[in-house]
Amino acid sequence: MSRALSAAVLGVIYAFLLLPLVAVVAASLTAGELMRVPPEGLSLKWFQRFLASETFREALLLSLQVALTTVVVTVVLATLAALCHRALSRRLAASFRLAMTLPLLLPELLTAIGLLFFLNSIGLGKTLTGLQVAHVVIAFPFAFLAIVAALEQVDPAMEEASASLGAGGFETFRRVLLPLARPGMLTGGLFAFIVSFDMFTISLLLKPVGGNTLPLALFDFLTYDFDPTAAAAATLSVLFAVIGVVAIERMVGLRRAF
Amino acid sequence: MTQIDIIGLTKRYGTTLALDGVTLQAREGELVSLLGPSGCGKTTTLRCIAGFMDPDGGDILADGASVTDLPPQRRDFGVVFQNYALFPHLTVFENVAYGLGVRRVPKAEQRTRVAEALAMVRLQGLEDRLPRALSGGQQQRVALARALVIRPRLLLLDEPLANLDARLREEVRWLIRDVQQRARITAFYVTHDQAEAMALSDRIAVMKAGRVAQFATPREIYQRPAEAYVARFTGEANIIPVRPRDRTAGGGFHVPFGGVVLPVSGVEGIRPGDAAMLMLRPEALSITDPGAPDAIPALVLGAAFLGAALACEVSLADGMRLRLQASPHGTVQPGMTVGLAVDTAHAWLMPDIPQ
Repeated sequence: MSRALSAAVLGVIYAFLLLPLVAVVAASLTAGELMRVPPEGLSLKWFQRFLASETFREALLLSLQVALTTVVVTVVLATLAALCHRALSRRLAASFRLAMTLPLLLPELLTAIGLLFFLNSIGLGKTLTGLQVAHVVIAFPFAFLAIVAALEQVDPAMEEASASLGAGGFETFRRVLLPLARPGMLTGGLFAFIVSFDMFTISLLLKPVGGNTLPLALFDFLTYDFDPTAAAAATLSVLFAVIGVVAIERMVGLRRAF
Repeated sequence: MTQIDIIGLTKRYGTTLALDGVTLQAREGELVSLLGPSGCGKTTTLRCIAGFMDPDGGDILADGASVTDLPPQRRDFGVVFQNYALFPHLTVFENVAYGLGVRRVPKAEQRTRVAEALAMVRLQGLEDRLPRALSGGQQQRVALARALVIRPRLLLLDEPLANLDARLREEVRWLIRDVQQRARITAFYVTHDQAEAMALSDRIAVMKAGRVAQFATPREIYQRPAEAYVARFTGEANIIPVRPRDRTAGGGFHVPFGGVVLPVSGVEGIRPGDAAMLMLRPEALSITDPGAPDAIPALVLGAAFLGAALACEVSLADGMRLRLQASPHGTVQPGMTVGLAVDTAHAWLMPDIPQ
């Protein structure tokens, strides 16, 4: 009885999480002219339509470019910050951690407005570089926490063992800490990618002149149209995230990455 | 081979003194144990020697040259950790070769030296395994090989047997002693297990609240402890508060005890008439006929058959309880009145120092 109940609860939770996704994917595959579930016949024409649209193509490429840059910059910065966090005393580490995760704790809109003023005042307002900076700021806490979690699994005696065997700081980083932090860096990178690829509020306020990321292009499109191209775009975003997760699973195994 | 001198080491955590003037020496090829309960400063001392911790005062000399300001990687001291601290992402071979790789030793030489080190700790055929696929005893052997392969000036061992089960502990203990002797390497060994320290060490430093209570050979520590704390920590001991009456002709003391006067030797500096502590190890006491001359009458409270001996607890007329080991062939039973004979060669008088 209780087994059946817990299975039912689990089923409801999965349905709650996955049904919208199923609906969007189903809608994107329709052969009809309207976004609706169930779809009227099956076809890939809305994906074709999506890729044929120059607006969407450019937006997709910009989103990918920004997301990949965000991944690289964020993972490097977050790794450095996580190493610093490890070296600090317990009390200082707690404050440091709080400071590093502030972008996560503040409302995104607040961060966006702050960044808008800041970037404008240093001359980076409405530029791609400005947008890029903003994405890194928002994605950073996710990568930082993932790498800190990975490093917390590492016995503090590792550095001492390495030093007693003659290795200096950099040598210890290269031979011991970096390999042991790698699962966290991959997870953090994946988070950074997804956060950046899906970012809306920040991008809306800080987007460069004439440049649209995919979520913004989708928003513009949905303001005037309601055909399944939007569903196709959404399906593609989900696909990118799934590819990322599968890649991490293949490389390190999700169990080790989290 | 290196001589290590530790001079007046102090270390303070906030307001507590973790180390309060620790002075020790390990001569070339000597194994010195730091023995004491947790919190006595033995691990702190070891971590200062290794360079993982900076002492607030004092100096550490290797062959007369101070290493106190050198970072650990420039001291050339091998460390074996309690939890082994093997690199989990590296194989057994890579773990042992780590220190050689860091030193840019050519690959071919690395292979021969790793093989030598693994042969020394009798662990072969597992070179390609990861640490998590090894048993605790095997991991400790890898840790030992990894520390030895760099041919360190000093070997530091931090409770290396603490995480092993009893049977393995014995085996690895002999292995450590054997390897240390064959490599003729100076070593410091931290432990809270007195049997381990006795079996392994050339000299033992018994530590008490950040100080060295006594630093001497295992035999001396056991037979002629400097104070009751040392006597208690290095084996079973009956410690009895007494007042020595006067000096014997041989430089010892006449100590009234249980109705007789025992001639016993003791720590220099005790004055007749002062409060002192008499140590009687269980093997200093034996059971005789109650009517024998100089026998102290005692009541047997309990007896436990241990195989090689019979462990007894007896009480004297004044209620004092003593533990002793009797012959397993005897017929001692609880409730019996017996005579107690004291072998004064195994008795020892110590000053009354607060614990």
